[in-house]
Amino acid sequence: MALPIEPTAVQTLAALTPDLIKASQVGTKAIAASIAISTTAASTALAEYAIGTAAVGATAEKPEVFGSVLILTVIPETIVIFGLVVALLLII
Amino acid sequence: MALVSAPGSYIYVCTRLRVRRSSLLPREELLRMLNMELSEIIRFIGETGYKKEIGELSTLCAGTDLDLIEMALSWNMAKEFHKILEIVPEGLHGFASAYLRRWDFQNVINILRGKAQGMKAGKIKEVLIPAGDLDREFLDRLLTEDSVEKVVAALSGVRFSHIIEGIFAAGITDASLMTLENELIKNYYEDLAIVAGSGVKGGEIFLDWLRMEIDFKNIQNLFRLREYKEKGDILSLMIPKGGIPVADLVRLNGIEARGEFIDALKKKAGFEPLQAALEDLRKERPIHEIEIALTRVLLHQMSFMSKMHPFSIYPILSYLEEKKYEVANLRTIARGKKVNIPTEEIKRYLVI
Repeated sequence: MALPIEPTAVQTLAALTPDLIKASQVGTKAIAASIAISTTAASTALAEYAIGTAAVGATAEKPEVFGSVLILTVIPETIVIFGLVVALLLII
Repeated sequence: MALVSAPGSYIYVCTRLRVRRSSLLPREELLRMLNMELSEIIRFIGETGYKKEIGELSTLCAGTDLDLIEMALSWNMAKEFHKILEIVPEGLHGFASAYLRRWDFQNVINILRGKAQGMKAGKIKEVLIPAGDLDREFLDRLLTEDSVEKVVAALSGVRFSHIIEGIFAAGITDASLMTLENELIKNYYEDLAIVAGSGVKGGEIFLDWLRMEIDFKNIQNLFRLREYKEKGDILSLMIPKGGIPVADLVRLNGIEARGEFIDALKKKAGFEPLQAALEDLRKERPIHEIEIALTRVLLHQMSFMSKMHPFSIYPILSYLEEKKYEVANLRTIARGKKVNIPTEEIKRYLVI
């Protein structure tokens, strides 16, 4: 009795339609987007931790610097915004 | 990475002290004060960080303008130092409080000297800085004692009482007071070395500062010994545990020619600013100018180290030292003005 013929890799790829390829990329893009947002968010957190602590110290001594240090504290937010933009570009 | 790895409390306290440091009186203000009368100086410092003390004491202090300034400076410095102990993080608290213990022996020496010279308690009190373990109430109790012997008896039980009792066992004289001061300084630095070597995080950095300060003290001592042509027991006058071994310092003291002495000292001096300062001291200068020149280098180096180690004990020590010299400068100006010393002469005694 003849054995059933296994499809080769080339035959399997040839069988994939463009829709199927697109569908398989969605998961990969989601992973990439999550890496982009999580690494930038962690970096922002670390930067804001250090700047925020120093800002509280400076404000405790000179309350009039509150406005300036507040701006300095939120500057690292730009990092996470970059991450968000990259993530959105990947997903959309 | 140092920024990220430093604990939040270090960042917080070091930033606070940097801000405080920026509020110290700048050089230009001190120079401006040289042209003021005592009453104007009181008004001027009453508008700066000394406002609270000047306000309180102007109603309490019955003495002269100079007495008012001296008291206000002492109170302010003690208050500042205590405040720092309250805000420093756990890890640095031990170092900071050990450092502030220098005021304990300084206060005790001042009381003993004052009592030995028959000074009034109020006058001695003006120069006391209750910033160490011995608080104001304890120092006030010591001041009420009417003889040196009674002060020594009242000191039993304090950290360094065994040294005082040992030295005064043979009698209380001017020489024994000098010996006591030397021994207390040595004991203070030994204690600091123990604290630094106790395995607490940051101890190595603290030890570096300690070695540097001991070296500066020893070098100042060497210049003093040369000035007064002292050839006695040099070994006992030097503070051990510095970067330059005591045996080397004794050898340096044996060099007669000033040029050779400076050359040999420069070889031992570890860093460039000190070498440059020593080069400036090659020609004969009054001892107070030498001491001030060396103190300036020490402060400059501490400031440099506090930038190298932004979240360590250095910014704290740097602020404490600069505050100490700000108060010393204000005292010098006030005292100089009181006895009508010319402005240029007072300026030579300022660490600016």
